[in-house]
Amino acid sequence: MSLHSHESERFDGVAECGAQRAFLPVEKGKDMAGSVYSQVRKMWQTLASIKTGVILLILVVIVSAAGTVILQRPATDADEIQRAYSPQMLRLLDGLGLTDVFHAWWFVLLLALVSLSIIAASLQRFPHSWRFYSRPYKSPDDNFRRALPLQAVIPIGEEETGVSAAERRLQKAGLRPERMVRENSFSLFVERNRISEMAVYIVHASLLLIFLGGIVDALYGWRGFVALTRGEQSSQVKQQNGNQRNLPFALRCDGAGQENYADGTPKRWWSDLTVLENGRVTLRKQIVVNDPLVYRGVRFYQASYGPTGKLDKLILTATPKAGGEAQEVALALNESLQLDADTSVRLAEFIPDYVVRDGQVYARSTDLENPAAHLIVASRKSGNVVNVWLPPIPGFEQNSSSPYTFEGKDVQMAHYTGLEVSHEPGQWAVWTGVILMGVGLAVVFYFVHMRIWVVPVRDARGQLVLWVGGAANKNKDAFEQRFRKLVEEIKSEIKIQSMSCAQAHATSLAGD
Amino acid sequence: MARARVEQRPAATGTSLVVMVGLGVAFLLFMAFLNVVKSGNLLSEPNLLYAALIFYAGAGTLYLGFGVTGIPSYLRYASLATWVGLLANTGAVAHRWYEAGHPPFSSIYEMLLSFVWTLAVLTLIAEKKYGVKIIGTVTMPVAIVGVVLMQLLRTEVRPLVPALQSTWLHVHVTLAMLAYAACALSFALAMMFLIKDKMKTETFLAATSLFSFATYAAVLTRFEKWGGLSLAAWNPEEKSEIFLAKGVRLFVVVPDLGWLMLLVLAAVAAPLILYLVWRKTGKEDIISIANRAVFVSILLQGLALVFFVLRARDGRYGSLDADGLFPTSLAASPFILSGLVGGIFVSLLYLLLLWRREDLERMLPSADELDRITYRTIAIAFPLLTLMIAAGAYWANRTWGSYWSWDPKETWAAITWLVYAGYLHMRVTRGWRGRRAACFAIFGFAVVMFTFFGVTYLLPGLHAYA
Repeated sequence: MSLHSHESERFDGVAECGAQRAFLPVEKGKDMAGSVYSQVRKMWQTLASIKTGVILLILVVIVSAAGTVILQRPATDADEIQRAYSPQMLRLLDGLGLTDVFHAWWFVLLLALVSLSIIAASLQRFPHSWRFYSRPYKSPDDNFRRALPLQAVIPIGEEETGVSAAERRLQKAGLRPERMVRENSFSLFVERNRISEMAVYIVHASLLLIFLGGIVDALYGWRGFVALTRGEQSSQVKQQNGNQRNLPFALRCDGAGQENYADGTPKRWWSDLTVLENGRVTLRKQIVVNDPLVYRGVRFYQASYGPTGKLDKLILTATPKAGGEAQEVALALNESLQLDADTSVRLAEFIPDYVVRDGQVYARSTDLENPAAHLIVASRKSGNVVNVWLPPIPGFEQNSSSPYTFEGKDVQMAHYTGLEVSHEPGQWAVWTGVILMGVGLAVVFYFVHMRIWVVPVRDARGQLVLWVGGAANKNKDAFEQRFRKLVEEIKSEIKIQSMSCAQAHATSLAGD
Repeated sequence: MARARVEQRPAATGTSLVVMVGLGVAFLLFMAFLNVVKSGNLLSEPNLLYAALIFYAGAGTLYLGFGVTGIPSYLRYASLATWVGLLANTGAVAHRWYEAGHPPFSSIYEMLLSFVWTLAVLTLIAEKKYGVKIIGTVTMPVAIVGVVLMQLLRTEVRPLVPALQSTWLHVHVTLAMLAYAACALSFALAMMFLIKDKMKTETFLAATSLFSFATYAAVLTRFEKWGGLSLAAWNPEEKSEIFLAKGVRLFVVVPDLGWLMLLVLAAVAAPLILYLVWRKTGKEDIISIANRAVFVSILLQGLALVFFVLRARDGRYGSLDADGLFPTSLAASPFILSGLVGGIFVSLLYLLLLWRREDLERMLPSADELDRITYRTIAIAFPLLTLMIAAGAYWANRTWGSYWSWDPKETWAAITWLVYAGYLHMRVTRGWRGRRAACFAIFGFAVVMFTFFGVTYLLPGLHAYA
């Protein structure tokens, strides 16, 4: 095996090498099936080439960029788009799907092609990398030794001691040399981070996993909205496409609110939520923005908070005209309350922003601007029913004939909490993919696959030397420095050993 | 011609500039001290930032001084000044963090504060670890512009709106800052590679003129009828832009400024056109005319900047969308301002290259080394970009219930990621090295800049916070 093919195959040569192997079993034009097969093969080759990959990526970039410049449909209001483009232009854009690029069929097709290209390219290069990975090249032959760019020779006296000196030195440097037994001696092989050769497949796989998650969510995921007031419960969600979706459980809002900073800007929105399944409480949680409630894969997010325009409680003081203690009463809409043994009061109407026009009372808006309350005071004994209006509206009110005078104290409006609801079954694939990609990229960029060989050989003049060679798949200059240092260390180790050997020899001679 | 003129000047001795810068720094510090005596608080954030500005300015002057004179001792002092500036900058960041109770990433002001800090740190790392000594010539002026811009922006600690109260947001923005700073560094390194790689000075002429041209063309998208330039209106009490409706800014038209910008556009186009003529005809004297045109364009760009600052700083102008006069402020148009400053800066860098190319080349590591370091910075930037996008997606998932919604900022972040992925693939599988790889790295940084500024400025989206 020549070094050139060995080293260069790993990058540039992989495609060609794979292509040749792929064509081997096919004899061209043998029969129809064979030709179809070869056509498919050819398409597969094209898909796997780096050129196709780059062209597809450029297309994705151009199309995505277009999608950020042209106003997009679901995000922008329909009339805003109509204002921005002329009718002909808009028809053209709509026809081409350019007003909703990221959901257009051709964009999905493009992403599918990118995925296929990644799969094809990875599959084509994988067998070679796998061989490289699973059968490391441990005992270098002559050709390899001649061609390796990074190598050194150290003269030694004896094979056994020279190699074991190198072994000791490598061990001291924190490496784990492996003894490769040869016919009558052994050589050494050290490597580190062989996984680095496979990391690129981890990255590609993780990208596909993320795509897969996205596809699953696009097919089976949904988004919706539900608004609840305090005490209200619902198991229906209004989906973005307008459909209603029934959940297998109900959600109840036990309270919601807003807290402000001193300067009046909102600090926090919260909702106390309870999940009920078959009438039984199964989960309670207070959610805030950034911290959703998750139940059976359905996630509820705090999205909005605001007044419903409906009354929660009206607080009044009622003072009997006949004289006596004033009492405070709190009334909800249509709620009746006994003021004394004979008299009861009912809140018949509450208008948050009233206006009188043409002898009628109208609600102008749902904002609490100009509230009016219509109370009905009834006496059981006399059967009298009196309409009381707060404030008194001429033509409607009969306030003077009421046995009580009423005074408004406080109006407590009902607030709703708006919850975004989403179901994304594919997100776990996405997060797994993200983590895998982080790991993969770390290995790709920061784990250097380094190999060192130590072989005792005879050089051209027949002198016994230790041939030391090294290779790294990236960060080669830093590896070269390390390699040179290691070689120096091995040299000094051998020198010390031969000196002590000679000394030992000398003493043993003297002892004789 | 220009070259000859410079060389006729008496050569500055090694100490004169250092002494001048030292005196300047001392004077400014003294003035600052007087201010402190008045206000009584030494280690407040504005003071620290001011100190950082003084030292960065000193460092920038010394780096440029080295560029012009080639005296090596300047670099030592420049690097010392950078250290002191960084110290003050760190103090400002820490102060901000302590006062706000969250890492300083929540407004443009805080982001700039962190960005400048990261840039200074990376400059020192590049200098000490990789021996790219003159990188400060590029990064320090950027840092200075950053600190000056900060003075214009709102500085008070603002409470965080609920959507921003998330650790993931801080992770996201920290990673973004780190990734973008690494991209900026790879850009600077790629530029230096091109200098070292004997890329023709004329090509730099074309590139710098193109940059200025593009800047002024972008500014002129705000050109209104009869020579006005429309700028965002600014409410000085609220310290914020004025909005007509949610997300719709009110623009005022500053009369006549548009004509001036158009004139400068013509001036910066001149060297570009002359370069194209030179490419066609190959006459050398055309290039020397082009160089003089660059000089003229710098003067005009300076004029444009001065007029822009004078007219846009304050004053009330009419609007096309609403009746009455509305105030504006420099703070309302930070991007135009940085564009104008950037244009001048880039043109000055070209002149520096024109006059002192040999000295610059002498100070740079070998082309191979620069190529490798560029790749290595991108090898740092790419995983950071990946994690940045992932953290952003996770945050969005917790806040809005979807990890990816194709909003413009997201899409452009993905595009940036794809571009750098393309760079890595071309390098590893196609063996792209040297000039092609450097140009790719520069292109990548242009995309980063568009994602960072362009998207916020030109395209609408969810990232309205930053």
